Amino acid sequence: MSELERSLLRRLRDRDERAFRELLELHRDRVYNITFRMLGNRAEAEDVAQEVFISVFKTIDHFREESKFSTWLYRVAVNHCKNRIKYLARRHDRDRDELDETSHQQNGATLGAPIRAAQPDRALEGAQMERLLQEAIGNLDDDHRIVVVLRDVEDLSIEEICEITGLPDGTVKSRLHRARLALRKKLQRHV
Amino acid sequence: MTEEPANEGEPIDDEIIALVSDYLDGALPPDRRAEVEQKVGSDPDWKRAHAELVTTREALSGLQKARAPGSFDQEVTGAINRRSAGRFFGRRTLGDRVPFGVLLAITLALLLVVGYFMRSSMTGSLKRGPEPDPSPGPGSGSAPLIPRP
Repeated sequence: MSELERSLLRRLRDRDERAFRELLELHRDRVYNITFRMLGNRAEAEDVAQEVFISVFKTIDHFREESKFSTWLYRVAVNHCKNRIKYLARRHDRDRDELDETSHQQNGATLGAPIRAAQPDRALEGAQMERLLQEAIGNLDDDHRIVVVLRDVEDLSIEEICEITGLPDGTVKSRLHRARLALRKKLQRHV
Repeated sequence: MTEEPANEGEPIDDEIIALVSDYLDGALPPDRRAEVEQKVGSDPDWKRAHAELVTTREALSGLQKARAPGSFDQEVTGAINRRSAGRFFGRRTLGDRVPFGVLLAITLALLLVVGYFMRSSMTGSLKRGPEPDPSPGPGSGSAPLIPRP
């Protein structure tokens, strides 16, 4: 852990609001991306990402600095996502794959670089692929979804995923294989 | 995919997928790695598994990064302030956990000190007065206190 991170943690433990804003600045987009890819719904993703930061702030004294702060943060995020997925499943909420008209309209503003008008076909292709992939991820069961989002979307190492999920190396790898296999089957006709 | 490998559409053994997946993650020892490379170069099933997994991984890593809405920070800090009635930000005298044990010990000590002072004080309510004299005084005994008319 860097000295900068230690100092930020110290200030967070002292309930320094500016430190909290720095923490948000550093991690909000990545946490939001994880929650969005896990839940497939912007409103849910935003709500869960907010809860993640509130939890982190409330329980910062429980962080023992045995792992990287980001690892702990992603663990909190993953746990919140799992809880929300269970909650949504209980409510029989089938509206996870929110890539509806509203989100399409918002894509230019909230997702990456703006789509170039000069390449409408490629933009459409990209948007279709985006939708297809998000649907395919959403159809994975949550244990598989977690590992594939952390590894292939967020590019975290297997070791870090083990720390985040608390799973042994072999389990993470086998879930990753199965998730990729399932995604490959779903995308086979389109890619 | 530029080249169309053989057996397109036929299922590939899960074990091949697992090994190619590990290979792509860099999780294989050098000898196994060389073995997978050799098979990917020569066996159509391995070649197809490799091509498909590479494409899948590239598609996943190429997903656009969702960014939190602009109002996100404000909403989070607002929620913290609302839920804690403004107490969250700002250092707490006793920290997050109330040390009930310590508070109890301090309270008991204070009570003992107060009790001691009240007992030793001349005017304290716990001060014992002089012992009442048990011997009867003059005029006591059977004589009526109020003379009869």
